[in-house]
Amino acid sequence: MEEILRKIGAFFKRGLTRRSFLKVGGASLAVLLSQKLFPTKAFAAKKESAGRKKSKIKGDHDIVLAEGRDPYKNTEKAIELLGGMGRFVKKGSVVVIKPNMAWDRTPEQASNTNPYVVGCLVDLCFKAGAKRVNVFDVPCNDARRVYNRSGIAEMAKKKGASVYFADHWNVVKARFPYPSPMEKWPVLRDAVECDTFINVPVLKHHGLTGLTLSMKNLMGVCSGTRGLIHIDIGRKLVDLTDFISPDLTVIDATRVLVKHGPSGGNMEDVVVMNKVFAGTDPTLCDSYACSLMKKDPSSVPYIAEAIKKNFGNADISKAKIHTVKV
Amino acid sequence: MKKLIVLRRASQAVSLTFFIYVLWSTTYPLEGFFPAGTFFKIDPLIIFITSLSQRVLLPGVISAGIMILLTFVLGRFFCGWICPLGSMLDLFACLRKKKIYLSDGQNRKYSLIKYLILLAIILLAIFGIQAAWIFDPLVISARFISLNFIPTATLIIDRVMVGLIQASDYYTPLYDLYRWLKQSVLGINAYFFANSLFIFLFFIFILISALFISRAWCRFVCPLGAFYGSISRFSMLRRVLGECTKCMACRKQCRMQAIKDDLTYSKSECILCMDCVYDCPPKITNFNFKDTVQKEDKGINRRQFLILMFFSLVVSGFKGRKRESKILNGSNIIRPPGVANEQEFLDRCIRCGNCMKVCITNGLQPAMFESGPQGIWTPRLVPEIGYCEYNCNLCGNVCPTGAIPKLGLENKKEARLGTAVVNKPICLAWGYGQECLVCEEHCPVPDKAIKIEKIIRDKKAVLVPIVDKNKCIGCGICQNKCPARPDRAIKVYPDLIGEAI
Repeated sequence: MEEILRKIGAFFKRGLTRRSFLKVGGASLAVLLSQKLFPTKAFAAKKESAGRKKSKIKGDHDIVLAEGRDPYKNTEKAIELLGGMGRFVKKGSVVVIKPNMAWDRTPEQASNTNPYVVGCLVDLCFKAGAKRVNVFDVPCNDARRVYNRSGIAEMAKKKGASVYFADHWNVVKARFPYPSPMEKWPVLRDAVECDTFINVPVLKHHGLTGLTLSMKNLMGVCSGTRGLIHIDIGRKLVDLTDFISPDLTVIDATRVLVKHGPSGGNMEDVVVMNKVFAGTDPTLCDSYACSLMKKDPSSVPYIAEAIKKNFGNADISKAKIHTVKV
Repeated sequence: MKKLIVLRRASQAVSLTFFIYVLWSTTYPLEGFFPAGTFFKIDPLIIFITSLSQRVLLPGVISAGIMILLTFVLGRFFCGWICPLGSMLDLFACLRKKKIYLSDGQNRKYSLIKYLILLAIILLAIFGIQAAWIFDPLVISARFISLNFIPTATLIIDRVMVGLIQASDYYTPLYDLYRWLKQSVLGINAYFFANSLFIFLFFIFILISALFISRAWCRFVCPLGAFYGSISRFSMLRRVLGECTKCMACRKQCRMQAIKDDLTYSKSECILCMDCVYDCPPKITNFNFKDTVQKEDKGINRRQFLILMFFSLVVSGFKGRKRESKILNGSNIIRPPGVANEQEFLDRCIRCGNCMKVCITNGLQPAMFESGPQGIWTPRLVPEIGYCEYNCNLCGNVCPTGAIPKLGLENKKEARLGTAVVNKPICLAWGYGQECLVCEEHCPVPDKAIKIEKIIRDKKAVLVPIVDKNKCIGCGICQNKCPARPDRAIKVYPDLIGEAI
């Protein structure tokens, strides 16, 4: 035992030569510096962005609604009658498809976009000559579970799209030419830096806003404490939609959750509507969805805000709507 | 060629790699080639002591029994060839320059400590208290690897790759590789464990002890070593000497100091590292099954045994006294889903960290002294860090002793962890009249345990959340997602505390 104590003592006594002092000092300095450098360099959203360029491309109709049993064919038909995917997706471009893939629920429970709608859009994009199709979302539940259980990841991967988890370090700070509550909000870079942005929400009930629609779906490209977007949600979502300005909005109303949204879970709350509709104006798509659900568009905060701001056209009586049965 | 030593080192390397692999794959979707509890199932100390103290028969009794039978044949081969802690100690001991030798008398005295620890553990188990977890080498290494090593390793890989990606032009093949790694090996979250420094310190203390005395832990403390040691007294494989020149080379080299000054050896200390076979200059040392029985040392004497009995009685009397608990399951912290009785949970949990490693949201964290000193390193849900995922029952599936019951998905969804309570003054809706309802949005119960109500506040209609205490399962997603800072405006409390508020 004495021997041990002696050795321990010797170890500490012997320890400090100039050489070892420099070594230890240098190492600890390096560790300190790296700790200081890493978060600031690697994890701050340094780049600012004024958002995506507004697209002037319009469809043949303002809205095309396709009704039929097969969501894949519905989507195909709706896009075809809108003027074809070639109008929105140029050859060799990078396309982002943003489904509503937020909840750890199965497709039958209708909390997420129908995988066949997403699959069809991926197919159409590649047919139109897209170089790369990115499919991602920032889910509310654990991303791995959501990607698997929603069935979207599997479907999109099968069709050749890149499905990946959003990286919260890869964001840009949103800047607006007008005063906005979304100023400097971190938005995923991939959603901003793409050639075509296709927003594919699912029509469903939502506790705060009444309905989850295309503008609400765009919350899924935001990083940061997303709960705060709920404060003054109307203004924030309209500004965010203006920032992202999706080229194409495809709303999936194949199976619609009418109660206990947005997460749902009860099969009794799901109504089968077998409808898919597409348009280029997010406001118009959203207010048309309201009319499908027999809801006053001005009761949904973000549509009310869009009307007030004159953002897009919320009046469906003035719109050219084409309905087709598949 | 030192064939046997090469073989032993290979076995240690494979076993350590395998151990790390099993723990690394203890994560969603739990698709590793081996179940998460593989190593605990061959640990007789954990399996038999827990079975004894809880009066149950754990799955794994058979595999642990096989290990005992093998020890009867081979001796303490587990310690030298398989034990991951032993392998790490051997690896770390490469750093030391000189070994310390104890005299035979000292060595014998200190070696007895581990037998005393083992006896105390067995006696406590007879009184219904499971104390095997404190010094079990597999638990200690699993906890270190799951809660310190893997999180640090993944974090470093992640940060370095992010740095490289940002230094290069973002969208390069490197980014695709990074995304692939995140989906497969790294996992999408870099895990964080509160107070994991103490786990690290406990482990590093054991490692550092090997710098001064080789395998000090295994020789003096390890109760599993004592267990195998007391069996290997009767083992069939023995060390045999030919014409010995008494050069003492083997005596100096033995890492367990199992070889004594008179060159006899203590079979219960020998871990079959096979060093002495090759360190022997005349090459006359060998191991075989043929030789006659060698006389063994006596274990503990009657006086030591009586002292031990006395202490265990005192300890068990002290611990067995059930404290008056104010709450239903007796816990003042949120336990994993399905844990019904706090006292039983504390006695059954071995603190291996499997549940915390597998927890998909990183919500299960090692406790410190929140539930008393005996609750150290038990899992607790910390909703600020992560909530209990509604459709997930992984923690029950990986628990090696069934402290967290293995629930079917349907039962798990109804398992109650606590009750959520809204703190109205700091709630954005109740207190400030803002649009929020993030808690209601995220509530996973199909019928929503959080209801919306319309109130008039400052002449303005506001939607506010109200918790339905009968439906709330206390998963904590509301607390996790609540945007109020610094304190969350909705919090989950253990059941009866929550109901009292």
